[in-house]
Amino acid sequence: MASASERSYTRRDTVMFSVCLALSLVALFSPSAWGLGLAASLRQTVLAPLVWLQVQAEEGRTSRERLRAITVERDSAAYLAQGLPSLLAENERLRQVLGLSKRLSSPYVAAEVLHQAQATDGRTLLLSAGSRQGVAAFDPVIAPDGLIGVVLNTAARTSIVMTWAHPEFRVSAFTVNGNAAGVVAPSSTGEGALEFRGVPYRDSVPVGTLVLSSGLGGVYPKGIPVGTVTGVVKEQAGWERVYRLQPSANPGSAAHVLILVAPSGDVSRAFPSDSALNAQRLDSLERVRRADSVAQAAQAAKAERAESLAARRDTARARTRAAARPDSVKARPDSAARRAAGDSAR
Amino acid sequence: MIPARANRVQLAVVLLLLVVLHFYVRPRLWGPRVAPDFLFIALMLFAMRNGPGASAIAGFAVGLAADSLSPAKFGAGALAHTVVGYLASWARAVFFADNPLINAGFVAVGLWLRDLLVLAASGSGDNSFLTELAVYSPLQAITTGLFALLILVVFREWFSIRLDT
Repeated sequence: MASASERSYTRRDTVMFSVCLALSLVALFSPSAWGLGLAASLRQTVLAPLVWLQVQAEEGRTSRERLRAITVERDSAAYLAQGLPSLLAENERLRQVLGLSKRLSSPYVAAEVLHQAQATDGRTLLLSAGSRQGVAAFDPVIAPDGLIGVVLNTAARTSIVMTWAHPEFRVSAFTVNGNAAGVVAPSSTGEGALEFRGVPYRDSVPVGTLVLSSGLGGVYPKGIPVGTVTGVVKEQAGWERVYRLQPSANPGSAAHVLILVAPSGDVSRAFPSDSALNAQRLDSLERVRRADSVAQAAQAAKAERAESLAARRDTARARTRAAARPDSVKARPDSAARRAAGDSAR
Repeated sequence: MIPARANRVQLAVVLLLLVVLHFYVRPRLWGPRVAPDFLFIALMLFAMRNGPGASAIAGFAVGLAADSLSPAKFGAGALAHTVVGYLASWARAVFFADNPLINAGFVAVGLWLRDLLVLAASGSGDNSFLTELAVYSPLQAITTGLFALLILVVFREWFSIRLDT
């Protein structure tokens, strides 16, 4: 039989557990604005040092210093990184972000993604920029590949982003050729996919068509790539079709993002087509090749000069030898005489 | 120093180390979905050495922190960590021996249960729910269990875990 102290101890444990459980349930079923407000205030106070620590780690991991160096000396850094595949991949990602930020005409804030351990990490992301950097709720978040999501809530130095994987995510969209419009939402049938819903039945969209944000609704500016059509999910005859989209950007692997702080107008120029990007890449490759050929020409000229100098030196030596030859001819009889004298002595 | 206080100080040092590992080292390890959850290891170590009530409060605090940093559904993490913290302390006192391997397995199972509760409470879609529970959660449970084992082996002298609570 349990003693009185043991019973009270167990009762106390049960009470503490019940209180915590009740508080959790209150948090779970309270309006989401309360929860987000409480989360923001916790991030600004108790969790601020821990978030700061993670920001430092994230900065170390993604090599912020290297980003700055690349900004100043991109070409030389690229040469240094050529031999290391991981550095090369990171360099490519940073170049994409850098390229995107250059192409963007509307103001933006660059931020790092601080991934968390929770299973729901892909649906909401914690970013290292907040209201102090000018970030506000409902600011669109983009990556070089396309749309990531929208800012849900901000604290002073951090913000929470609802990604396209979140069940409540919606964006008004249209096809790149403009012949079909609808609403993009996360797929209800499979993870990691989107659905292009509400497309009129008469508007058929071929596989491979790029879908962009339409700018309707006032949250996302026009022209951000959302996904590429991979097939039809379902169709209601005579009414509408729902298409499956392969998302353009992956929030799970995003390390750096840009937050559009005052989105307006059309940003499609910031996301050029693949052919335009290829042209840019080829152009930069051509520039590198040209620089290489100049360097090779300089090397060849140097080698040629060294060869001609060597040839001149050889001719000078040959002349000197030719001038010295009569003496050597004179010396030969002496040596023959010496050899003959030796023989006779033996 | 009194032994009980020394134990508390040792536990606090290990917990602090785990918090630093979680926020400073974890971002540098692999993918975020499979990297070990050091905060969860800290919670389980705390639960193994404290009563169910205190463990429930610790779980609630850890869950609140997790919810604040990733509020897909605020309160889901707090609920899951509270339940897991309470159950871990209770089950540890009733069932488990002081074997590091068993304790590491205990941590791994606890993490999977935590993920199950978080996903259930935050109302995930069918397929993502199954993918998380069948693929990512077990992977994270394995890495977390291995790191828990490492911590228990390294601090074996400090973690001469008592069965009485």
